[in-house]
Amino acid sequence: MSIEKLLFEKLEGHFVEKVFPKGVKVKVAPQALLKSISHNFELDLHVVEQASYSAGAVPERYIRNLNTFSQVEQAKLFSSKVAMVGLGGLGGHMLESLARAGVGHIVACDGDIFEPSNLNRQFLSSESTLLMKKSAAAVELVKNVNPAVSFEVESQFLEGDQFDKFISGADIVVDCLGGLQHRSQLKDAASRNNIPLVTACVAGWAGIVATVYPGDASPADFFGDNDGLEETLGTPIPAISTAVGIQSAEILKILSGKGAGLAGKALMFDLSGMIFDTVTL
Amino acid sequence: MNIQILCYATFAEKSPENANNFPVYEGETVKDIVVKLAIPVDEVKIVFINGVSADLDAKLADGDRVGVFPAVGGG
Repeated sequence: MSIEKLLFEKLEGHFVEKVFPKGVKVKVAPQALLKSISHNFELDLHVVEQASYSAGAVPERYIRNLNTFSQVEQAKLFSSKVAMVGLGGLGGHMLESLARAGVGHIVACDGDIFEPSNLNRQFLSSESTLLMKKSAAAVELVKNVNPAVSFEVESQFLEGDQFDKFISGADIVVDCLGGLQHRSQLKDAASRNNIPLVTACVAGWAGIVATVYPGDASPADFFGDNDGLEETLGTPIPAISTAVGIQSAEILKILSGKGAGLAGKALMFDLSGMIFDTVTL
Repeated sequence: MNIQILCYATFAEKSPENANNFPVYEGETVKDIVVKLAIPVDEVKIVFINGVSADLDAKLADGDRVGVFPAVGGG
């Protein structure tokens, strides 16, 4: 018997119907069922969730994503692939966000290890991960938060045309880099490979988030590749989590088919004066 | 005539008290205002007027919402 047929037989008849306001009905695959099938047949949870979607049911863990995302949109998130560069301040929170949301395939890279100055903001850093590779902490996070995500990570700093291979086959590229030095290179690689890029930068209370389709301007075009003000102002957590929230919303809207809100634009914010502007670049 | 001037990040400390109702003269540019506020011109990387990026040399009009943003790259 094929795996697909086996999974269909094990799932069929065990879904629970949930009725949302306005009468929208959704078949839900209980978490316990998916986990037990994964365990009993030694199948990756990703494969079991895939079968659930194919059978027209949303895995229970995503139920509170509905109906912000429709069932069809949630399934699109699961079949999507994100390539993210950087697992520091922006990247740690971003990885959590994308894994919880149910993005099915994520590749990430960062060659760094955690040091004490990361502890003020980096989600993957903790007393127990100091001096550990950021990539290793990322693996642990995905395993704990959503083991149905197919996750690959490289413990490397990439630059120039190394980005091309890394982002190949991705539906979206996410710039969670620290510093300005490599941001233009990543933008150029995304453009060459005809993949949209969602980028964020912060310093102090301020930040900027932009969605860059091939040919669009990016904040990096304005900033150059020398150090920005983060060396002066530091990077406290409120600007990081604000930027990641906006960045993650853009990514999930693009992947689900809702469409970007910041294509060709940048959203800039300064939490010291609570000012927000969306600017066409 | 008056504009609203938004000073982002390090420029916030140069923001005038009357930032929401900042007086400008006919023909004045963004650069003129930046200089008046003692913001280092070479640190201004993005300028916008009414939600669209603009040049430092752009002339101002009554009621404009004008912003200046420096280079930030942290993550």
